[in-house]
Amino acid sequence: MPRIGVYVCHCGLNIAGVVDVEEVTRYAKTLPDVVVAKHYTYMCSESGQRMIQEDIRAYGLERIVIAACSPRMHEETFQKTVLEAGLNPYLLEIVNLREHCSWPHSEEPEKATEKAKELVRMGVAKARLLEPLEKRRVSVEKSVLVVGGGIAGIQASIDLANAGFKVYLVEKKPSIGGRMAQLDKTFPTLDCSACILTPKMVEVARHPNIKLLTNAEVINVSGFVGNYEVTVVKKPRYVEEDKCVGCGLCIEVCPVKVPDEFNEGLSYTRAISIYSPHAVPNVAIINPEYCLRLKYNKDVCGKCLEVCGTKAINFEQQPETLQLRVGCIILAVGADVFDATKIPELGYGRFKNVISNIEFERMSDASGPTGGKILCPQTGKPPKSIVFIQCVGSRDKRFHEYCCRVGCMVSLKQAILAREKLGKDVDIYICFNDIRAFGKGYEEFYRRARDLDINFVNGIPSEVRSAPDGSLYLSVYEKSINKLLELHADLVVLACGLVPGQDFDRISEIFHLPRSADGFFLEAHPKLRPLESPTAGIFLAGACQGPKDIPDSVAQASGAAAKAMALLSKGEIEIEPLKAVLNQDLCSGCGICVPLCPYDAIKMKTERVNGVEKLRVQIVEAMCQGCGTCASTCPAGAIKMQKYTNEQILAQVHAALTESGGVK
Amino acid sequence: MSLVDLTSMAKPNKEIRGKILTKLGGIELINCFQCLKCTSGCTAFKLLELAPHEVVKLVKLGFVEGLITSEIIWTCATCLKCTERCPQKASPYHVIMALRNLAVEQGAKIPEAYLKAVSQILETGLLQTTRKVTTKEMETFDRKRLGLPEIKYPTKTFKTVLLKVLEGALA
Amino acid sequence: MKVAVFWGCRILTSQYAYEISVRQVLPQLGVELVDLREMHCCGDIIKSINTFATTYMAARIMALAGETGLTDLLVPCSRCHFTISETRYLLERNEKLREKVDALLEEEGLEYPPEIKIWHVIDLLHDAVGLNLIKRKVKRSLESLKLASHIGCQTIRPSAIGRVDSPEMPQKLDKLIEALGARSLEYPEKLDCCGAILMFSHPEAALTLAGSKIKALQELGVDGLIDSCPACHMMFDENQESAARVVGGRLSLPVLYYTQLLGIAMGIDIEKLGLHLNQTPVEKILEKLTQLKEEAHDGTETRSKKERRV
Repeated sequence: MPRIGVYVCHCGLNIAGVVDVEEVTRYAKTLPDVVVAKHYTYMCSESGQRMIQEDIRAYGLERIVIAACSPRMHEETFQKTVLEAGLNPYLLEIVNLREHCSWPHSEEPEKATEKAKELVRMGVAKARLLEPLEKRRVSVEKSVLVVGGGIAGIQASIDLANAGFKVYLVEKKPSIGGRMAQLDKTFPTLDCSACILTPKMVEVARHPNIKLLTNAEVINVSGFVGNYEVTVVKKPRYVEEDKCVGCGLCIEVCPVKVPDEFNEGLSYTRAISIYSPHAVPNVAIINPEYCLRLKYNKDVCGKCLEVCGTKAINFEQQPETLQLRVGCIILAVGADVFDATKIPELGYGRFKNVISNIEFERMSDASGPTGGKILCPQTGKPPKSIVFIQCVGSRDKRFHEYCCRVGCMVSLKQAILAREKLGKDVDIYICFNDIRAFGKGYEEFYRRARDLDINFVNGIPSEVRSAPDGSLYLSVYEKSINKLLELHADLVVLACGLVPGQDFDRISEIFHLPRSADGFFLEAHPKLRPLESPTAGIFLAGACQGPKDIPDSVAQASGAAAKAMALLSKGEIEIEPLKAVLNQDLCSGCGICVPLCPYDAIKMKTERVNGVEKLRVQIVEAMCQGCGTCASTCPAGAIKMQKYTNEQILAQVHAALTESGGVK
Repeated sequence: MSLVDLTSMAKPNKEIRGKILTKLGGIELINCFQCLKCTSGCTAFKLLELAPHEVVKLVKLGFVEGLITSEIIWTCATCLKCTERCPQKASPYHVIMALRNLAVEQGAKIPEAYLKAVSQILETGLLQTTRKVTTKEMETFDRKRLGLPEIKYPTKTFKTVLLKVLEGALA
Repeated sequence: MKVAVFWGCRILTSQYAYEISVRQVLPQLGVELVDLREMHCCGDIIKSINTFATTYMAARIMALAGETGLTDLLVPCSRCHFTISETRYLLERNEKLREKVDALLEEEGLEYPPEIKIWHVIDLLHDAVGLNLIKRKVKRSLESLKLASHIGCQTIRPSAIGRVDSPEMPQKLDKLIEALGARSLEYPEKLDCCGAILMFSHPEAALTLAGSKIKALQELGVDGLIDSCPACHMMFDENQESAARVVGGRLSLPVLYYTQLLGIAMGIDIEKLGLHLNQTPVEKILEKLTQLKEEAHDGTETRSKKERRV
């Protein structure tokens, strides 16, 4: 019988404040095969770990039971501890006396102590049956898939490419740049967004290590960390990327007007167009929903063909499917802007002079629909009064409960730009609930706005009304002066929040990624692991993980790139052995387990055994996540879960239900 | 009538505040973060100075006694705009109804017309007696003359049960 | 379709035109009305006194409706409709409350019917009867009329419990008006409250609210205001003169119940629609209609002249 050491952690007062740790230790010593039982304030500390290592050598311990906090916290640490002392790390069992005992039963210390003793007894029963296991090494692809070509995706791609990794950057729109490309200036520096973004966009396009796939989407992901197989579909542009020089002649002659998506519908472009003013790649694209030739037939129109000097237009172009093998994936798909038609009382969608913040941004941009002039959409004249309304669709239980994080700074910026463009005689109001100017230079930016005589109204209006001439008016109660203000506005700008993208459901399915309650992609740990998804090898960066501004998106992007590099740099990774293992002799090939595996890790195969063809299953170890579904369904009991074998679990059950934890 | 005077006199009363929270069932009243949307759009604000955000904040901080004895809680037009648009589902309208209930329970002064309505309901089941209407041509009509069916007044048992319920609250 | 109908205090004791016009018009659209065996207050006013008492009273109304064997209950008064709908919503979700109410109803041998569906005149006509049927029944198109709709507050809010129409962009009453050929105007004050409940405590404020809305509509040059609630109608029609005294100026806007307007369009005799009971000058609307009819049919005689009598 193996020699077992039991270590009970106080976890400060987290455990010891409820559970009588001394009593539990005393009890543990009475259990058969337990050679040493000790307790300590912080087992995970250096001294705690050293104590265990010294005991392993001194007492010749063969199994270790640590009764402490959840294994999710320190199992890895303790595994390293025992390994250093010469013991196989899988001969360690963690018993959870915190999340499973002291925390939920904090009001009943006596009962908690009894339960702690039972849990330790169960842990010892399992420890007796533990077997040594080895991690496996698997080689990895030294390439990364970056999904989404906004600032986060761009930054991550550049970092990875510069470090020598091959990057596939997949962007669903015809050009990279994302939301940042739509901005005029960025807060708090009022840098010209395009000026700081386009160099990076061009770097991406030129970098030998980056393969840029625009107008493309990922449609399937399979495989496992280090060895992902990704299917990408590149939708046809009907224009050859290597031939088009972006001269724009085709756009001039195209007869079909199409609402300009990049300009948020504030202007028209043509059925053939270049997506954005600084598009990368600077290549035209034909919209099949509007192009007469593609919608009807070839005799209807061919004007663009006639003028194209490089013969780049190709109406026969087909979608291209690519199969990529990558080591890991960075998801940087960004976020959408809240659709304010959902709050009709604010007038968006009904009154032309009520616009969203992203629409204001396009107007303010010199390469936008109004050439950079702030104008009232209804009259085309500059406004004499502008009212900003904050928190549209955010901090609202009816829509999105979270704070969108950028709304305040965007409105401050836009108010400052309006002041600079329209002069000091324009009345500018910002109706707010709170002003959140939290970042570096942000509070100073807020002060700058006040310096420019922008009025801050502490209160949110209930509705916006329109006078017959299209001008707008609203009542808002101002908290500080306790008065109901009636504001007249030529232009109302709604600070619409950032919201989860419409295609997040589909992306969630394709990449097998869960979402948090707010609809954004879930991180492995909100505090300590914000860039990792729960799926090994898939990282998150930028607004898709939660609304955020550019500095945070860039920081996350570089962080995610670093994580990817750390994973792939050695060229191989270790895989945990806590998997399902098949006993070939017992497998009858019934195949019940195959469709039940949530990770598609089991395959049917035929084998020749002693000259006879036998149907059996094969478990792909690297894809197996150790969930145990197959083992519990197998009618022949042919599958065993490493470190969670039937015998081990039944021993724990038996220990739980008998007084002395009977040893057989 | 401004509520400023009342708050400078009153002290927070946790017990009565607890009664309001119990009446309201949910805790959303305490989620109110004073965005002021309710008062900005309140039907009764301009004419009667009802500031729903102030009522909610006063209750949240425990200054309920002043509200119960105040006329302000009877100025609500029950238009329900605040209930509809509040981003935290704090519904000042429901808070005001709870305050009214408490005012009745505690014997505070309430508008005469409400008391008349209650006694009428207890008597006939309806909040007023049938009226004769006079047209622009000075002709007078009642239900019978208009050919409308007679009102089927409720049985005595209804009134007994209703009285019991009302008294149960006031006891 | 057969529906039980609960009129409520105001309609039964003073707003007779609503009852008259509903009783007249609905059967002609295939809706048979079944009265409850008893009529009592839904508990609207009692809400301010004791909300639990209101829950009991509204539940009792639904129990009486359940006794008719019908699962559809028509509640033409918007305030009653809200009171009863909110009660239904609460009873569906709060077991303890339901138990308390069940115990009280049991004392009279009554039972709360959880499958009951509550209708208002507006959604009954728009959703159940349907605009197409209404259009087919129009004998006299109201083309010349520019009208404003007032759907009221308690019919559309709070949307969380399910109301008759959208809380911020209600269209059903407008569509019903347009189905008769008339125009229904969008106007800034569309969702403004009539102030009715304030007649109990602050009548001047109440009349100011009603009067301001009428004034705004007069300035827009509408031919009439169409409502569908006895409380709103009391404010806009019965109290228009008093409101004028409070807000100043002359108020002379015709105000009709939708069912009255519908009856006119269906060619029903105006006496049968209770139009003589309206205090506002509804004859102006009728005149406008007959004027055009006379212009259209030169020399056609007496039917139009007969219709002029109010």
